[in-house]
Amino acid sequence: MSVHKYTEKVMDHFRNPRNVGEIEDADGVGKVGNPVCGDLMWIYIKVGKNKEGEEIIDDIKFKTFGCGSAVSTSSMITEMAKGMTLDDAYKISRADVADELDGLPPIKMHCSNLAADALQAAIDNYRTGSKPEVEIVTSCQLEVRIILGLEEFLGKGVYKKVDDLEQFRDKRIIISDTGDESLELALKLTEYTGRVIVVTSAKSTPGRVEIRKKLERSDVKILYQSELIEIKGELDEVEKVVIHDFDEDENYELFVDVVIILD
Amino acid sequence: MSIYLDYQAAKPVDPRVFDEMKPYFTEEFGNPSSLHLYGFNATKKLEESRQKIAEFINAPSPDDIIFTTGATESNNLAIIGGALRNKRKGNHIIISEIEHISILNIGKYLEREGFKVSRLSVDQYGRINLNKLERLINDKTILISISTASNEIGTLQPIEEIAEIAQKNKVWFHSDAVATQSSVPIDVQKVPFDLLTLSSNEIYGPRGIGALYLKKGVRVNPIIIGGGQEKGMRSGSENMPGIVGFAKAAEIMKAEINAEAARLKKLRDKLIAGILKIPKSYLNGHPEERTPHNANFRFDYIEGESLLLALKDEKVEVATGSACSSKTLEPSHTLISCGLLHEEAHGSLLLTLGRFSEEKDVDKIIEVLPDVVRKLRVLSPLTPSKFLEQIKKEGN
Repeated sequence: MSVHKYTEKVMDHFRNPRNVGEIEDADGVGKVGNPVCGDLMWIYIKVGKNKEGEEIIDDIKFKTFGCGSAVSTSSMITEMAKGMTLDDAYKISRADVADELDGLPPIKMHCSNLAADALQAAIDNYRTGSKPEVEIVTSCQLEVRIILGLEEFLGKGVYKKVDDLEQFRDKRIIISDTGDESLELALKLTEYTGRVIVVTSAKSTPGRVEIRKKLERSDVKILYQSELIEIKGELDEVEKVVIHDFDEDENYELFVDVVIILD
Repeated sequence: MSIYLDYQAAKPVDPRVFDEMKPYFTEEFGNPSSLHLYGFNATKKLEESRQKIAEFINAPSPDDIIFTTGATESNNLAIIGGALRNKRKGNHIIISEIEHISILNIGKYLEREGFKVSRLSVDQYGRINLNKLERLINDKTILISISTASNEIGTLQPIEEIAEIAQKNKVWFHSDAVATQSSVPIDVQKVPFDLLTLSSNEIYGPRGIGALYLKKGVRVNPIIIGGGQEKGMRSGSENMPGIVGFAKAAEIMKAEINAEAARLKKLRDKLIAGILKIPKSYLNGHPEERTPHNANFRFDYIEGESLLLALKDEKVEVATGSACSSKTLEPSHTLISCGLLHEEAHGSLLLTLGRFSEEKDVDKIIEVLPDVVRKLRVLSPLTPSKFLEQIKKEGN
């Protein structure tokens, strides 16, 4: 356990993080990281001008999902950058943040890297005026893709239609979002098992209003901006699926028992 | 004083065990290999100790016990030694996806040495699929190694059924019993293990000592070669203070295990009921078929190491399956194999109770945890805004 290796400064920023929150009318937003690696950092900036007329960071806020050093580095960089000119703030490096915290354990240096990246992304965002994220609405607009292993495991854990829900009791189920019918099925399946995952290309909760509300209250786990690209197994049984996250542009595996892709 | 809820990582030596060990560092320092009086006394104590370990698991004879330096060595001796011993019969070994890291890495090592290793998948609670196990066995299969339970999520495996399948197919069954030693009685005459790994620290004995049980007629190739101690299967002068301590720990555990398990189960159930009151919290592992001392949770939107650090400030010491707290930066392979997403596996909280846990320890974490979780959720970008409003309201 690496806990004892943190400096007092790191622990101080972790316990009392500075500038936590969002800026509603932010001029720039930087979102970096990846929950798969366990770190996600959002930095919001408000830009103003100093006496010399140079652009400076008037206000800065952050939100972080991550380990102790991820929280501390975000907090620290907000303190460092506040009041700085945009040019100077853009130059803050991961080493600068780590130094300011009296050092970080070597294995944690990737976390502090993120804080500097997030700030740079926020400044880029302000300068180019681009939206921080690409909006993707529903799966229907996407071209149909081939799912590897689909035919091989059909009837062996992969279902294109579903009648008897009892057979799914206590199974880990992943359902591809092919429209409201598939989402209603996902909701119904939560009465049979605690593990229902919907994979959707949408960026926020999919479905028409009533379904969306129900999904938000339910235990259905939703994988946004993702698609199913491969089904894997052994001895004629589905064992796992490969998910492509097109926001992060990467693939990962997930252990499941049942894959449902309604026709 | 901090509250310790990480008994799976390390246990204190029971003071009764420590007292028993003391003379063997100083006055009783003999080497069992010597033929003089000191050696004779040491041999006598060594064999008495072996007898106590045999009694602990109801082994028919003390000859079935080999002392090692601990569970990792016992696993190496059983699996590598067993594979080498049987390599003319076959080259196929079956383990599960959620074995302890020592066994997973032994599997990788044997693959590099030309063996074939199948990794049996588990269900959402971490239980292996018996039907699939049976179908994985082929005429080249020589060994199945599946733990009695997971030390991380506490899920008990159907060991009687596994042993039956192994016996029917004439394949050796090795099991790492570390996760159940301190709370579930073991009887090797009821469940026909061929090889069983035991650890001393798991039952409040000293570290650096463990044992491997080998059913009569089962022999493995040594992986430590030397003067031929432990019937040639594990050379090196015996660690007498360790062995004496391990034997005393086994004697105490055998006498107290049922009462202790009942007490821990009560505390654990209180812990689970209390913590699951937190919104969007879940129990990892099997709801009923789990070791009496284990409770493993996850909380949506927060990360395990932050949780661990925040609880440390409340003087509660816990463990997590978060990658940030591991040497490899990988999240727990056990939770991933149960079907959790990476960010869910990152948010796990592992609480393990032990002999010196008290009800007030459980009360303390139930009292402080909701606020700690709430604070971390306010900080997290993954928390949906509606849910955030709700928890902010509840907090003030």
